[in-house]
Amino acid sequence: MTVQEPAESSRRTFLRRTVVGAGLTAVAGAGVGTVAASAAGPDPDTVPFHGPHQAAIVRRSPAQCVVASFDVTAANKAELTDLFRQITDRARFLTRGGAPPALGITAPPADSGVLGPVVPPGGLGVVLGVGSSLFDDRFGLAAKKPKKLKPMTMFPNDSLDDAQCHGDLSLTLSAESTDTVLHALRDITRATRGGMQLRWKINGFSSPPRPSGTPRNLMGFKDGIANPVESEYDRLVWLGKGNGADDGEPAWTEGGSYQVVRLIRMLVEFWDRVSLTEQENIFGRRRDTGAPLDGANEQDVPHYADDPIGTVIPLTSHIRKANPRKPETDSSRILRRSANYDRGVDSNGNVDMGLIFTCYQQDLERQFEAVQKRLVDEPLVDYISPFGGGYFLALPGVTGSDDHYGRAMLT
Amino acid sequence: MPGSVRTRWVVGAAGVAVVVGAVVTAFAVWPDGASAQDPEIQISRSACGQGWTDPKPGPQTFRLHNTGAVTSEVDLIDPVSGVIYGEVEGLGTGTTRPMSVTLGNGPYAFRCLPEDSAAIVGPTTTVHGGTDRGPGVAPVTQNDLLGPLKVYEAKVTQGLDQLATDVGALTDAVHGGDRAGSEKAWLTAHLTYERLGAAYDAFGDSDRAINGTTAGLPGGTADSGFTGFHRLEYGLWHNEDLRSLGGVADRLATDVRNLRTAFPQSQVDPNDLGLRAHEIVENALQFELTGNTDYGSGTNLATARANLDGVQTVLDVLRPVLAPRYPALSQVDSWMTRTEATLDAVRRPDGSWPPVTTLSRAQREKINAAVSELTERLAPIAAIAEPRRVS
Repeated sequence: MTVQEPAESSRRTFLRRTVVGAGLTAVAGAGVGTVAASAAGPDPDTVPFHGPHQAAIVRRSPAQCVVASFDVTAANKAELTDLFRQITDRARFLTRGGAPPALGITAPPADSGVLGPVVPPGGLGVVLGVGSSLFDDRFGLAAKKPKKLKPMTMFPNDSLDDAQCHGDLSLTLSAESTDTVLHALRDITRATRGGMQLRWKINGFSSPPRPSGTPRNLMGFKDGIANPVESEYDRLVWLGKGNGADDGEPAWTEGGSYQVVRLIRMLVEFWDRVSLTEQENIFGRRRDTGAPLDGANEQDVPHYADDPIGTVIPLTSHIRKANPRKPETDSSRILRRSANYDRGVDSNGNVDMGLIFTCYQQDLERQFEAVQKRLVDEPLVDYISPFGGGYFLALPGVTGSDDHYGRAMLT
Repeated sequence: MPGSVRTRWVVGAAGVAVVVGAVVTAFAVWPDGASAQDPEIQISRSACGQGWTDPKPGPQTFRLHNTGAVTSEVDLIDPVSGVIYGEVEGLGTGTTRPMSVTLGNGPYAFRCLPEDSAAIVGPTTTVHGGTDRGPGVAPVTQNDLLGPLKVYEAKVTQGLDQLATDVGALTDAVHGGDRAGSEKAWLTAHLTYERLGAAYDAFGDSDRAINGTTAGLPGGTADSGFTGFHRLEYGLWHNEDLRSLGGVADRLATDVRNLRTAFPQSQVDPNDLGLRAHEIVENALQFELTGNTDYGSGTNLATARANLDGVQTVLDVLRPVLAPRYPALSQVDSWMTRTEATLDAVRRPDGSWPPVTTLSRAQREKINAAVSELTERLAPIAAIAEPRRVS
């Protein structure tokens, strides 16, 4: 246990405006001022569907989400193309909203009616990703595989369940209310039954600020304070720009982003039996304010250089391991879009809840995996259990009404 | 493949742009799907269809107001072809309900079908300046279904004869103390039954007795109400004494005999024929492809395959009714073929079927995808083939 020392206020003022991260994988710029970015605004009714990138990637997580993985059952490339067209058409309609067609006596109702007779957009955002398994021999896409895409790595502290890992596609639906995301999931799966089948899915939520600032995870800590700002996306988030001509990625990936989803159970009963001091030393932040242990506010930057042996912020703390804030670790920063989940009871009578960790980046190994490797055997691992998720490439955006998801990949 | 029926029809009918354009209006004006701005159409014997003063193309909603003295059905039809574009059933006297339709160029009229009296077709209104009409279909009448029903009943009767024979062989094998022979005969008889497409109470109490599961039985497999094929399956594959199973087999034989005797006296509800097309497969999805109804034999896939035969029978008899009305019927046929092939692909070389739970995930996903897509394609048949009044 590290002894806490009062921080000197004078040494935290000069970087007051810098935002730093807490949470399961905190990453922020080393000495680079960052502000949580939200290109689409925090609470939009409509997330633009057409654009060079999938717009929902860059907005702050709205209140509700569902993260789903699918295996493609289409028989060939033509059917796969048809599948992507269908997903595109449904996503385009659902994000814009509107009246479902009246089918008269020719069919059951076109829409489930869950959102009423006219479908409101409800701030629905859609992110579609492709997993490395899509590039096997089924569709002749091996040569099109994104260079860095691979099955999710199993890390030393993982206990992965294959039934809740990987998948040919990932679909992340987020909106302000649960009915909106579930309606969207049902609509999209109904239109694509022959082409893809659900492999796993999990519902998530983002808590409101308690009492202010960054939302808290289910361990009670503010999670996701720091993220790259929009001006940094080209070198940290998007493929095809700002990372030199030799990244080796196929041209079709331009505008996409590698997506990591990690389903992480939190052993909250155990966690709640841990003293506050130990909890705070494990994260490196105060639980009440979210401030680093040498600071006063959640947006204060920790000063590791002044604390070389970790008497204030332990060397093993989550934020310090995740982001040592050195120049050489700056390029490992990631765009985090996590949510909480809560889904039932385990065989011991403990609740099954935790985090749907999601992040976006340009390079899986340079970014997420580098962070994750620094976190191996951190003290937090006793209280969490990663069991699922996958690596995907979030596709480039659908550029217009003639475009569809994956078009450049398939042609 | 994923080209869903509804999407295709919308595009073919109204054009995406039209639909979306209307949506914006709908948001502003009709948050609940209908509003005071929508035309109010009178529904009654004396004033059927009056109130439509401003015909226009595109998606729109009518408020149907029953001003008559009795409950009425209402159709929006093309008075020349008889094709129905919108339908509201059970419009009570004094009540108002919305009817949402997409109108294109051509003549339209409201048809009022008051309870216990003849239909009245209101004035013809012609829409100009639009594009194609929303999806519509010529109604299927009770008369249209007489032929299919007769053929269907004959086929079921034939199947029940076969079932009686197969259950007789099963009973003999059980009484003969031949477990392997009993198991073989059980499967033959059970598949004969499943081919009849007895989904969702098609045979009422008989189905419960012949093919019921332990669902709803507090005693589970030991419950005295657990009878029929699955009770016998449980005993055969759990090494129960064959002598004690003789009574179970006899009871099954009696229940089958009763069904066979009763069936010609009963009538298949004309409503059921169209419903059965997808309900048989719904059953297969819910009870067979989950493995939920496996009491030891591991033959859910064989059952699912037999269910497809049952669906094929329904499609065959309904084909004359569906062919002119269901543009996607050929895709139903191709998904039938594909689904059959997908199931057959996991069958063992010796003709036996692996338990569904032993399949790989990829195999199960392929089967689930095919059966699910097929079910989606079959679902409109229930709407189309529902018998309707026209006069």
